[in-house]
Amino acid sequence: MTFTKTIAAAIAALALPVLATAAPLTITVEGIEKTQGTLRIGVFTADGYDAGDSVTGVDVTVDAASETAIVEGLEPGEYGIKMFHDINDDGNMSTNPFGMPTEPFAFSNDAKGRFGPAKWDAAKFVVTADGAVQIINLN
Amino acid sequence: MSINRRHFIGSGLAAGGAIGLGGCLSGTAAVGMPAWHAGYATAPAEGFAPRAMKLVQGQVPRGLTGTLYRNGPAQMSYGDDFASHWFDGDGMIQRIHISDGRAVHSGKFVQTPKRIAEQAANKFRATGFGTIGDPTYPVQSSNDVNAANTSVIMAGDELLALWEGGSPWRVDPDTLESNGPKVWRDDLKGMPYLAHPKVEPDGSIWNLGMSGSRIAIYLASAGGQLEEFGMTDIGVPAYIHDWAMTDKHLIILVQPWLYTRQIPPFTNSLEWKPEDGLKVLIVDKSDFTKTRWAQAPARAFFHTGAAWEESDGTIKLDVAFYSEPVLGTGGGTPEIAGVWSHKDNGTLVSNFSLLVIPPKGDARIVETGLDGDFPQVDPRRHGQPRALTCLATGETKKHPNATTLTLQNWDTGSAEHFDFGENRMVEEFLFVPKPGSTAERDSWLIGPTLNIKTQSQEIHVFDCQRISDGPVCTWQAGYTWPLGFHGTWSGA
Repeated sequence: MTFTKTIAAAIAALALPVLATAAPLTITVEGIEKTQGTLRIGVFTADGYDAGDSVTGVDVTVDAASETAIVEGLEPGEYGIKMFHDINDDGNMSTNPFGMPTEPFAFSNDAKGRFGPAKWDAAKFVVTADGAVQIINLN
Repeated sequence: MSINRRHFIGSGLAAGGAIGLGGCLSGTAAVGMPAWHAGYATAPAEGFAPRAMKLVQGQVPRGLTGTLYRNGPAQMSYGDDFASHWFDGDGMIQRIHISDGRAVHSGKFVQTPKRIAEQAANKFRATGFGTIGDPTYPVQSSNDVNAANTSVIMAGDELLALWEGGSPWRVDPDTLESNGPKVWRDDLKGMPYLAHPKVEPDGSIWNLGMSGSRIAIYLASAGGQLEEFGMTDIGVPAYIHDWAMTDKHLIILVQPWLYTRQIPPFTNSLEWKPEDGLKVLIVDKSDFTKTRWAQAPARAFFHTGAAWEESDGTIKLDVAFYSEPVLGTGGGTPEIAGVWSHKDNGTLVSNFSLLVIPPKGDARIVETGLDGDFPQVDPRRHGQPRALTCLATGETKKHPNATTLTLQNWDTGSAEHFDFGENRMVEEFLFVPKPGSTAERDSWLIGPTLNIKTQSQEIHVFDCQRISDGPVCTWQAGYTWPLGFHGTWSGA
């Protein structure tokens, strides 16, 4: 069962007067194993991707194995998504004692990392004036 | 010390081998390969369906009931592309179930993400201990490169296939179906777990996990529930494959083989620094913050037997020491491709030794001169004073790996041997206590050899009272499966 949620990101909401004409980015996250906690989704441009400096982000409460969020107010251009499933709702991506993530994470285009986050070139996608759709598998 | 050769030629076993079914299944030495290469061949992807082995010699001891599980790399090539290191082939569990005098063999690959991805691509992709791998292969967790190929242990009603850099892999002990990674606790997901857990006589399972200089310490119940988790630090990022345990202490041998560079594969990252010597960290099992160090001469090693403490606090443990690292970059590579010569590959042999750590001062090494490895002890005495260790010894010019089963007696300083001869490769033998007994000698030693002449795997049972008499019974499969590393025995 899929629930669809429309969540205007905080920053987008603040910028509404300027970006009112920008197109929505629809993000569907599939393969959620635990129906609890929150998906924490960050949207980045090339400049902030590696440093983790997002232009906007959404939190989605998990009620089902698939969840959809809509990010409004993005200007057309190239973006990348980093996200994780905050299962224990502590606001952070939990790690084991050796620093490896213990909560599921994913990137746009289902890009995979190699001993680190997926690279920008693999994760980047284009948001046009008509918007964009990203379907991301969490595992 | 010289080994008394006692050949098997002309014995009932050799005669039995002649009527074996060698070559009837895949997994035997390929065309154009030397006969011993059967030990490094790729096993059938679908595994080995349960099949009765043939009793070819002796009588099966009464009361011998249980299952021998062994693990080892069994995907050694894709087409003409051979694995770059023996340690990087996907793990396959071999199961030999013994009951009512019969032995039935089955085998199955452990289905890790690495195994599944490489089977789908029909090629090697993951980086490994000695494999560079495909630079486009994603690695998002240690389990993406987990070969699950080194050992096995029973934890409750689950069999765990062990590697050392990732999670244990849960396997059904009857069907050998894979059931995903073992998560000891939610916050320990993806933590490494060495392939050499130590089991107390009461069944409690201790183990370590390595990351650089940091060491995770696990204590699980016999049922497989995590009871305690802690951390310690050895100060340097040493490669640690195995360790030792007394009833009171964890003994961590810090060999001066250090992870100094981040260059895949793993062996390229390691540097041998003998000037540092071998340092030993002794950790109190009741309080992991209580530690002390001892210093020993530089040695490299993969495997210990077990440790014990004497009344004055002296710690003794047996180790298969090498003068420098073996099986480094490219280790086992020629063998995998069917190339081996004693001159080129067989020059560095172990010197099986007792490491003696006094309550204060430097540790000393008592060498036996035995060229052996894969030491094993009576599980009823793990961590406690004992006399005996069995191991595989006896190199030959004819093929890689051992030819002889040896029983070292630390009380007398002497050793007993049974030499299988040049036509067999001797693998790890395990102590199996005789039901209802307590004495150390009241054990069977059970393990495999690969008979390269008849192209058959064999399972032998020795009576620990008289190993030089030869096996009390032997079964032959009539086909081969690849050599394994380590196993475990699960009694009835």
